[in-house]
Amino acid sequence: MSTRQSQGTTLFTALLALIGIGVVVQLWLLAASVDALLGHEAETPLYAAIASGVLFLINGLLVLYVFGFDKKLRKQKSSSERN
Amino acid sequence: MPQKNETQNDCLECTKKKEVRWREDFPVNWDSDNYVTRREMVKFLALGSLTIAGANAVVAALPHILKAQEMPTKKIALASSIAAGESKLFSYPTEEDPCILVRQNSGDLVAYSQVCTHLSCAVVHKEKENVLFCPCHDGYFSVDQGRPFAGPPTRSLPRIKLEQQGNEVFAVGVDIS
Repeated sequence: MSTRQSQGTTLFTALLALIGIGVVVQLWLLAASVDALLGHEAETPLYAAIASGVLFLINGLLVLYVFGFDKKLRKQKSSSERN
Repeated sequence: MPQKNETQNDCLECTKKKEVRWREDFPVNWDSDNYVTRREMVKFLALGSLTIAGANAVVAALPHILKAQEMPTKKIALASSIAAGESKLFSYPTEEDPCILVRQNSGDLVAYSQVCTHLSCAVVHKEKENVLFCPCHDGYFSVDQGRPFAGPPTRSLPRIKLEQQGNEVFAVGVDIS
């Protein structure tokens, strides 16, 4: 395994863990906003929804970044195999 | 003894052959089927993130949707028929939503949903203590604001908006905020 590949593996695992943490925080936000809704609070679910949306954007960007990195790595590998 | 070993080996081969035949008949590789790659896991988490964000948006929009719905105006009692410290049961906005109207000692009329916010038992008015009481789990709510102050309930009772026209009392909405 090349250094670049092992870097990719570490990056993938780290980002997987980060996205996982983001999803857990989103689940907590959902539980908190449902609790606030049942407690007749209108503002808390709104802020929770905004925070959840931001977390989704961060997760999406991380996924795009890691897939882009993976694609680049595969291209490099195939071109080096050809040469 | 060697004979026995030979027969054992034969049997092992037999079972291996049987296994191979079984595999040929049912060529399903469960191990590879159940194997989840990190790539699949990341995709699954990203989709989960989108779903949760959507659910959060729905939860945030619900109070505004409910507020936008027009509530009916319904005559619920004659003001003169309820003395200070007394209560009257009614239903609002539908016949399946029990509510309680209480005249406080100050003379003000207040109304709340009769459904306890803990486990949906019916709350009753205790005249002597001037509280709303849930007999299922000993939950207590204040009459002036509907807030829980003892027992398991943690959320206030939904307040029914009232309007008085002459001697008649009307329910005009439910205050959910």
